[in-house]
Amino acid sequence: MSEKYIKPSRNIAARMLDDEMIVMSVRDSAVYSLNATASVIWSAADGSTPLREIVASKVVPQFEVEPEVAYQDALELVEELAREGILVVADHPIPGESA
Amino acid sequence: MSTLAQSINEKAVRLGIPLSVHLDVTYRCNERCVHCYLDHDDNGELTFDEIHDLLQQMADAGVFYLTLSGGEPLLRNDLFAIIRRARELTFSVKLKTNAILIKEKEAALIRDLGVERVQISIYSHRPEVHDAITKVQGSLDRSLAAIRFLESQGLKVTMAHVIMSQNRFDYSGVQALAAELGAECTIDPTITPHINGDRGLLKLNMSRENLRDVMHDPTVLGGDPAKFCAPPLPATDDDLDALPCSAGNSACYISPYGDVFPCVQFPLPSGNIREQKFIDVWKDSPQLKEVRSIRMRDLPVCSGCAHVAGCSRCPGLAYMEGSMRGPSTADCEKSYAKTGIPSPNMIRLGLAGGSGR
Amino acid sequence: MLSPAANETLEIGIDIGRLPIAIQTDDPEYIRTLEHRFARFQCNPAGAIARLQVTVTEPPVSKGGDDELKVERAGTQWTMRRGDFAAQWNPTERRGQLRSLPFHYALDSVLRIVHSLELAESGEGFLLHSASVIRNGRAFLFSGVSGAGKTTISRLAPADVTLLSDEISYVRMLGERYYAFGTPFAGDLGISGENVMAPLHTVYFLNKGDRNRISPVSPAAAVSSLLRNVLFFADDERLVGRVFQTACEFVSRVPVFELTFRPDEEVWNLIR
Repeated sequence: MSEKYIKPSRNIAARMLDDEMIVMSVRDSAVYSLNATASVIWSAADGSTPLREIVASKVVPQFEVEPEVAYQDALELVEELAREGILVVADHPIPGESA
Repeated sequence: MSTLAQSINEKAVRLGIPLSVHLDVTYRCNERCVHCYLDHDDNGELTFDEIHDLLQQMADAGVFYLTLSGGEPLLRNDLFAIIRRARELTFSVKLKTNAILIKEKEAALIRDLGVERVQISIYSHRPEVHDAITKVQGSLDRSLAAIRFLESQGLKVTMAHVIMSQNRFDYSGVQALAAELGAECTIDPTITPHINGDRGLLKLNMSRENLRDVMHDPTVLGGDPAKFCAPPLPATDDDLDALPCSAGNSACYISPYGDVFPCVQFPLPSGNIREQKFIDVWKDSPQLKEVRSIRMRDLPVCSGCAHVAGCSRCPGLAYMEGSMRGPSTADCEKSYAKTGIPSPNMIRLGLAGGSGR
Repeated sequence: MLSPAANETLEIGIDIGRLPIAIQTDDPEYIRTLEHRFARFQCNPAGAIARLQVTVTEPPVSKGGDDELKVERAGTQWTMRRGDFAAQWNPTERRGQLRSLPFHYALDSVLRIVHSLELAESGEGFLLHSASVIRNGRAFLFSGVSGAGKTTISRLAPADVTLLSDEISYVRMLGERYYAFGTPFAGDLGISGENVMAPLHTVYFLNKGDRNRISPVSPAAAVSSLLRNVLFFADDERLVGRVFQTACEFVSRVPVFELTFRPDEEVWNLIR
């Protein structure tokens, strides 16, 4: 199974509000709220760290979850965010300056 | 059950986070609108470096919504650099402008930078009326051309229409124009007193009769007049425990000189970011703390008024009228125009009854 | 996204309109929330005709502006989505699943939909945007859109009138008669009904005016006014057809009038 790389889309606005990440797509002004776990993943989405590593190093220790379950949930999450157009998901590192 | 946007704002208020900031980057302007409450000189605007630093401070403080305006922001030749930096810091940026300087190149740049929305003031669909208000001949045509450029880039545009005595017949025309251009349209019957305290501008407001007609027009209300204009529901404890508005609670305003106010329409000097860090002004300003302490039940006159639950009362207008805890007569007039029921403040001032209707 | 430890399954029965539904979940606090909210409508879940399994969860992503309820049918399965929940319901098996925040709002919506589907399928009745009351052992419905006067007329009711709801009425045929049932669904007045029922005597379509007056309504006008006010949420052709038939049957059996009224208590002299 190939590694997944993630990075916020260019056309977004985002800000942490306590433990919740608020994201807005500037094209259609849709607003999203990411829960604590999803926020941690979003904050670590630099385009060069594989998702598996993000989950292992940030999600599993902080939220005390089963690594494999956490990774499957994370995959589902990033696919949903990609469908909404606010996150870029690729099988290779994603170029561009970090947000 | 509140919407996501409402619950985000409620959380920001609860945690004391300045979610929204309105930053005027200059008071210089290339129009001279008759009703404008600003003076138009440069008295030492914030430099690019100062703004760059301020943006970082605001991002660190949790600011998410950033409105850039003025004066005319496009008169700053570093405006696009400011917007670029704001977008790098992932602010949601809204630009308010008269747009007469926006052509294809500027529109494309605004789009590439990821501005969320552009708001443009349109005073009439008729050039002679609009230009007489802005005091710039040809300004309507240029603003409308800019709207077309912006729309063609896929940007969201709001036409902001302020109704006053001299354009009071034109709001339907403006709405039709907005619909034709695919822009949103907001309508506001408020003229604000001059920022220097001169209340003379208020004579530009339309008459009470006109206001009543406007407030019963479903195209302005966007809803059912029977519901909107019905007598107000009695106030509940929740209504009285509520904050008057987000000014000072989850929002504030910063002038081109770094002065912080609760709102652009609430000229209570609350600190200056040239003297203090933004977060320190936000958290420790005695003026902001005082504004934050006020609930609807603390207002001596308004807490006992029938309209308390639904009135559009602006604390800034109340402050300019004499007290941040007092009534805002302009809003009393709106509630009266809506429902036919005068507030205690209106009765006390002798504004209700007799030939006033 | 957290995986909860395995808990025992808890159950509560909620009986509205004599259609008991069992709610199953492993979250004890959620059951307590439901016990409180549906207190007067609780029943033994063993007698339930339908089952809904609820997973209490905080979705990883909430999208704003998603406050609109979207209901769709795919084959035998109905899906319901809103910003705060997602649910599936199979009317043939009378089973479903709901992923919800730990509040009762999602279940309220799902229950309204499930009951509407049940009544539409069986042709036995419908949920109607109307206030309903019981007086002298008879039920009266006051129907109309928002602002027509449902809350007003409910507020003016004298002491001998039992209010069933100021917003949503439950109508169902038992045997050969239509009955109105109290429901836990409240409107502006926040009146959650008593868990009672009474034979339905008359339906009034409301109008505000300067005189109190009852006027006749043609059957065709009655059917179309009813359909405008029936709780409906899906463009399923077959179901729309069934609801139309139910409305026609209803109008042939229950008197329907137009009620114009002034906003004072005198109108209640006309309703006995």
